[in-house]
Amino acid sequence: MGKGSLTAFLVFFLMLQANAQIGAMKLVGNNTKDYSMGFGAFIKTGVPVSDAADITMELSANIFPLKGYGMDYGTIMCPLVAGYRYTLNGTGQGLYIEPQIGYSLVGITSLPNDGNDIDLKYHGVVLAGGTGYLFTIGSAPFDLNLRYETVIAHGGSNNFISLGISRFISFGKRDTNY
Amino acid sequence: MKFYLTIAATTLVLSSCYKQSIADSMLGVTSIKQTTTATLSYEINGNPVSISVKDADHQLAGSPTLYCEKSGGYILSGISSFGEIVFTFHTDSLIVGNYKYTSYYGPMYVTSFEGKPQYVYNPGDNMNFTVTSYTDGHISGNFSGQLTPAISPGYPDNIYGTPGSVIIKNGSFNNVPVFY
Repeated sequence: MGKGSLTAFLVFFLMLQANAQIGAMKLVGNNTKDYSMGFGAFIKTGVPVSDAADITMELSANIFPLKGYGMDYGTIMCPLVAGYRYTLNGTGQGLYIEPQIGYSLVGITSLPNDGNDIDLKYHGVVLAGGTGYLFTIGSAPFDLNLRYETVIAHGGSNNFISLGISRFISFGKRDTNY
Repeated sequence: MKFYLTIAATTLVLSSCYKQSIADSMLGVTSIKQTTTATLSYEINGNPVSISVKDADHQLAGSPTLYCEKSGGYILSGISSFGEIVFTFHTDSLIVGNYKYTSYYGPMYVTSFEGKPQYVYNPGDNMNFTVTSYTDGHISGNFSGQLTPAISPGYPDNIYGTPGSVIIKNGSFNNVPVFY
């Protein structure tokens, strides 16, 4: 997938090195049956703004290989999104819902085409909505989440569903920092 | 809060109404010519055989690995590490449907197994192919069969082994290109 892919893989690798977490995801929509299950790494952080809610930031690198071609072809996207995470019980723990909005820093789709590979590069607006569960193990906060995300560019959209778990990095503490 | 969440959910749903992926939109769906991977797999006496060919529409001229060619009838041919498998659809116009042939019309070579050619030869032997789809010049379907090994191939007649001792089952083929 060329230099762009190399960059995306580098981002993916660096995120893993930075203790980012991984998720499984599936592209949905028209002409997505040729894609395998995708995978991604993401770093998520946030600042409490109330007992129940955080403003979150998330950077992810998502890779969707094209079936039958290993990692030679497929789609890579690196969205940076901000979200408002609201816990339903108002404690900052437990079940939550979270709308997100952001921008896809990297978007690449590589397709085989009669020996002349097609490499498409794009950026676009990202919208996402999800739910999840916040819990702690010891003193480490974790975030198990399921979300639907869409990247919009050039009059089209790449839509996917992802399931992930991350060790949440929080700046600030509840009851003191809002 | 509910109001804002409703707005967010509605925006997300509406944004997904774009019918095309970004790639399709940038190129135009009709201009994308994604290559096709053809596959064929089956079990022969319990041994799995699998063939997969990337970019099946552009296989090496003179030595294609998996294809169907109109030549008299339509000859489906695949080459694996087990050897070749050959099946002729005896028709002038291949369509979706079942094509089952017995030994009624004489011995019919199908494949090789354990170093011996396998034929539809004895009563009860057969090859049963079903074409479930034929679209855009590619066929998909499934097959099974019962064969008899030729233990001593010769001319004019082979010497055959145990009747019906070779079973082909769980056969399937997908996106096999049809060449004219």
